[in-house]
Amino acid sequence: MSSQTASAPDLAERVRLEVERTIARSIKGVEYIASPAPALGVSPKDLVHKDGTLNLYHYRPSSDEIYRVSLLIVMATTNKGYVLDLARGQSLVEFLLQRGYDVYMIDWSAPRPDEKRLRFEDYALRFIPECVRRVQERSGEDDVTVLGYCMGGVLSVSYAALHAGDGIKNLVCFTTPIDFSQMTLFQRWADRRHFDVDRLVDTSGNVPAELIFRGFEMLRPASRAVGQVQLWDNMWNDEFVASYRTFERWGNDTLPLAGEYFRQTVKALMWDNALYRGTFEIGGRRVDLAGITVPTLHVTAEHDHIVTTDASTPLIDLVGASDKQRLVLKGGHISVAAGPNAHKRLWPKLDAWLGVRSV
Amino acid sequence: MAEKPSDPLGVWRDLLSQWETSANAIANKAMATDQFSGSMNQVMNVTLQAQQQLGEIMARYLATLNLPSRTDLASLGEQLAAIEARLGQIAGILERQAAAQGTTRRRQGARTPQAAKAPAPIPMPPRTKRPPPEGP
Repeated sequence: MSSQTASAPDLAERVRLEVERTIARSIKGVEYIASPAPALGVSPKDLVHKDGTLNLYHYRPSSDEIYRVSLLIVMATTNKGYVLDLARGQSLVEFLLQRGYDVYMIDWSAPRPDEKRLRFEDYALRFIPECVRRVQERSGEDDVTVLGYCMGGVLSVSYAALHAGDGIKNLVCFTTPIDFSQMTLFQRWADRRHFDVDRLVDTSGNVPAELIFRGFEMLRPASRAVGQVQLWDNMWNDEFVASYRTFERWGNDTLPLAGEYFRQTVKALMWDNALYRGTFEIGGRRVDLAGITVPTLHVTAEHDHIVTTDASTPLIDLVGASDKQRLVLKGGHISVAAGPNAHKRLWPKLDAWLGVRSV
Repeated sequence: MAEKPSDPLGVWRDLLSQWETSANAIANKAMATDQFSGSMNQVMNVTLQAQQQLGEIMARYLATLNLPSRTDLASLGEQLAAIEARLGQIAGILERQAAAQGTTRRRQGARTPQAAKAPAPIPMPPRTKRPPPEGP
């Protein structure tokens, strides 16, 4: 009896709320269609070096004093770096600047047709070393922390393994694949019995962004449709809509990949699993992860559907550093580093680990 | 004990979430088969073959019309990029030389027109930051 009397006003309140939300959905739905895409990459920055697909940005400090050691972020080659600088209050970069870090970022543009010949050699032996040199020059300090995200992490560990003693002070990786045999679906799709990577690269030059985007999307084929329904359901909620739009825009902003770099990724990393096996060679030099002796932090996501935890876990076991830590956090491939949950889970932990190692 | 009143929209949201999880799982299972991989790559190979043949036909057609093909334009772009890279290197060398000269002249108390025109560098805070002490 008491439950019935208590639930009647509840029901009325719920109906009232739903009617309000339905009206708000209609109004805001029109606003959504009519309004321009949200501004992303909000922290002030300067382009300090450009070399074709490579852009090196220096973010303007926002604190009265900064740590001695600068931080160089190496973004994944498939996506734009503004995912780490989405909007005020949702930006890892902004957070790091406020906490006193001197932040640089290697952000990639779509490779030009003539850059189809770029290889791991160009990324790990030319681009990153040149950027580290420029950071050292600008900061006046030899020590630099390198932070790589996803395939940016693969490039960073390759660089760190091949450039021991060249000024890299700390290495941080986010969701970095090492054991490519554990990336089950990608393995299936790139099965050497069916997938003619030579034909793809020889015909296309650079691998089209559409192909990369569809590859990611196929990992969770129902999620896009569900996302649209959830957007409609939450159209009344400005915060949800803003977040949806920023992530959707970023997701659609997938970059093409340099042809030769893609060919190497498929043949050496996917087919031969060479990075994990210790047989991966760049410029005739073996990438031995045991050669990484600087303090190393690897952040992995519990629900990462792109780089599964089985694929990312081995890094910490393989590096030769004595000061090393693997941090497993709730979240997915993106949400572990960007967005409201990352603000609570990852960022303070990253600051705590990095701060004491940046003096 | 008061029962939680039913929320039809809440139930619908739960169902949607469950459908997403199971639909993804079913699709992933299907996509992990040899047949799917074989068919997908077969489609891609046919597309690439068609693209290659169309590209060759278009190149011949454009050559007949005395017009540059995409490859010709890419080749031109490559040459321009090489020139751009070379100019970048020269600019870098000149900047370093100018910076070195500027340092010497400043030490001597001189002020060059170049130095006067150069944009003011962003003031950098001191690199004295220490991590906050750990809590109890």
